[in-house]
Amino acid sequence: MNWLSPKGSRRRDLLLMPMIGLLTITVISVTAELLARTRFYESPTNLNACLDDSDPTQGVRGKPNTVCHEKGLESADVEYRLDAKGYRSDTEPGPKQPAVYRIVLIGSSVAMGERVQLKDSIAALLAPRLSALTGRKIEVYNEAMAWGFARNASLRFQDALDVKPDLILWIVTPLDIARSEQTLVRLVDTTPTGSGVELLKNTILHDFRKYGGEIVIGQALRYYLYDFQSADESVRSSLQGKSADDESGFLRVAQGPVWQEHWADFTGHAQEMLARARAAGIPMAVAFAPNRVEAAMISVGSWAKDYDPYGIDSRLHRVVAADGGIFIELLPRFSNVADAQRFYLPIDGHPTTAGYAFLTDALVEQLTAGTIPALGAHAAGGT
Amino acid sequence: MNLDGASIQFVGFGLATAVLINLRQLPRWRFTVLFASSVLFVASLGGDFRSFLPLAGFLAFGYLGLLLIRKQIWKALPLSIIALILIYAWLKKYTILPEASFLSFAYLTVGLSYIFFRVLHLLIESGQDEDRPHIGIGAYLLYTLNFTTLVSGPIQRFDEFERETPYLDIGVVATQLERIVVGFFKVNILAMLLHAVQQDALADLAHPLSQAVKLSAAFRLAVVYPFFLYANFSGYIDIVIALARLMRLELPENFDRPFSASSFLDFWNRWHITLSRWLKTYVYNSLLTALMRRVSDPRLHPYLGVLCFFVTFFLVGVWHGRTSEFIVFGILQGSGVAINKLWQVKLAKGVGNKRYRALAHKPLYIAFGRGLTFSWFAFTLFWFWGSWHEIDVAFGSLDLGAWLAVWLVIWLMATVILAAWESLRLKLLGMSVAGGPLFTHRYLRMMYASTLALLAFAITVLLNQAAPDIVYKAF
Repeated sequence: MNWLSPKGSRRRDLLLMPMIGLLTITVISVTAELLARTRFYESPTNLNACLDDSDPTQGVRGKPNTVCHEKGLESADVEYRLDAKGYRSDTEPGPKQPAVYRIVLIGSSVAMGERVQLKDSIAALLAPRLSALTGRKIEVYNEAMAWGFARNASLRFQDALDVKPDLILWIVTPLDIARSEQTLVRLVDTTPTGSGVELLKNTILHDFRKYGGEIVIGQALRYYLYDFQSADESVRSSLQGKSADDESGFLRVAQGPVWQEHWADFTGHAQEMLARARAAGIPMAVAFAPNRVEAAMISVGSWAKDYDPYGIDSRLHRVVAADGGIFIELLPRFSNVADAQRFYLPIDGHPTTAGYAFLTDALVEQLTAGTIPALGAHAAGGT
Repeated sequence: MNLDGASIQFVGFGLATAVLINLRQLPRWRFTVLFASSVLFVASLGGDFRSFLPLAGFLAFGYLGLLLIRKQIWKALPLSIIALILIYAWLKKYTILPEASFLSFAYLTVGLSYIFFRVLHLLIESGQDEDRPHIGIGAYLLYTLNFTTLVSGPIQRFDEFERETPYLDIGVVATQLERIVVGFFKVNILAMLLHAVQQDALADLAHPLSQAVKLSAAFRLAVVYPFFLYANFSGYIDIVIALARLMRLELPENFDRPFSASSFLDFWNRWHITLSRWLKTYVYNSLLTALMRRVSDPRLHPYLGVLCFFVTFFLVGVWHGRTSEFIVFGILQGSGVAINKLWQVKLAKGVGNKRYRALAHKPLYIAFGRGLTFSWFAFTLFWFWGSWHEIDVAFGSLDLGAWLAVWLVIWLMATVILAAWESLRLKLLGMSVAGGPLFTHRYLRMMYASTLALLAFAITVLLNQAAPDIVYKAF
């Protein structure tokens, strides 16, 4: 079939055809953008309004007795209500009752339960599940906080010791290691980077954002695409073009100098906290929660020879065990599920409600399996 | 540069070559630009100098064979063919050969299968036709290394390659640009989505899930792969045919709506047409002629056709890969075509030719045949995409009864859905406006192509999503 126009209309078609093409593209783009904005929008307020980073010696802390609302592109509107100590918890720990086993949860956004309501966070789910299994009253106080990477966790560590817990549970994610030294980052306008087509693309997107606001359709497309991808493809597209220094670099067998530095920073803070916990006579457990691509890799069960999703677990295990900490292994559980990447928001990367529930189940399973003797399934009774 | 797939870079490279070629109308100019582009293309695929040597040696051997045949050296044709097949199997590391004999360094094999067919074709044609004009080294290299057909075909005959340059006008250019957009969308978007569904289904079968979920996964796994393969392969072929046409080079078509085929024999007239045509010409016809000379009883001649079909399509299957999975794939292809032929022979014999022809034209017979053809092809593809381990996981996840039920449902659904699609397609094509059929009107096609281009751009460039590799590149 040929596009050749009938003789009489050739000149008209030379103008008309490109216009039809442009009009089609414009109509589809505008309609898709308007439709996308009905679901994928961000609230003008966010969690950062409840955070105080004015004192570098204190790191990022929650502002006591504040309430913030945040709707991320992919998530629902979530309330962050901080208590008098600046933590996301509905019960402040008073003096510990003798029959109660108290756990303090520390860590960053995943440990805090970012992107989900308080009732769906690990801290809220963990206490009743552990109580039901062990037959003893267990309370979990959530001292984890967004941006609570290793340095910030260390700066707030005295708060954890002060409530005299029976166990300090630190949930570590790859970002906690990659951003060990990072404190709160306020978003600033950045100049586009890259070269060639990449630079052109980034410049167009940058200028669109600067003068026309956020293009939501791009994010919506990305969301649906990532959500649709199988675990295998999810891994492929997440690692495509990424260098060993990227945030996914921890998945590599041979880690580059940037990641070696991250590990050194992280290990320093981890050793310091483990030593303080040991000095206070409080056991400290560290659990590693994978990110989306790592969970997908484990779910698939095979990966390229340059990668090892379990490598970070082994290394973290060594760091923790060397200083008398208890390491809690969660990764193998991800190999039992198909498409484990679906436990995470496709773009943002935080766990979904189902993801937090899955992580909690994995934690409960490990905590009651004898790793923590006081929490063994038949460990009802006093401390 | 990522040129060995249906990437933006590849399309850009092809369009740039087409623009350069069309700057001047001289055949020599076209030859020079296409040759230079093909050399650049091949250079972009390999690693160090050494990685090109095996391919260069293979091409040199092919040309030497041509020279020997031209000089009418004793047994040059059969010896060249046998040697070429052996070298090909050795370079492709077929598992039937001792592993210790293989070269230990990494070298370029992309496109080797397609070069093999082209060189073999030249050797056979030169041996059979003594008056055939000699092929110069330049024409030989351009024919074998032409970048539009190097990676995944289509397998073009030399006389087609040499044919006079077709005319290029604005209508042809627009049609080819539309075809590039459609092909790009098929490979980079449609195939990517279908691949995701297939991988998802395979993951479901590998994990401990309920029987209902596994039945659904088995259904998806079987049904989706043929469409993925079609989108992946035919999309790439669409791009290269259109690019070549813009270079004033006409490539043969490789697909003709294969899922409309009403029998497995018909299917192979519509799927990877240039491969089946090549093997029918050089294997089926030669073998059948040789056997008919030896078997004098004419009642047996139809059965010789059955045997020859089996051998030909067994080779089609085996050509696809060097592992034992592809031997099974070949047996299933050969069996499908042979049983199909046997059915035709027996039925025609049983009810008579006239009644058989009448039956074969009945819509219900065609619809069930179409459904069965699709189901059989989908079944055979398990040995095409899967390793023994994956095949074991897939078939081991459900018992025999459940799998039989899945295949029965696939057959019935394919029968109904493909028949409904054929009928709808005819109705849509029958709808007309003043200028002719509505759905092929240039304005509507402009809107359609613009929509696909927008989606493809958004997903591949803005979202930076890479589609699965071209499957046939690996063969």
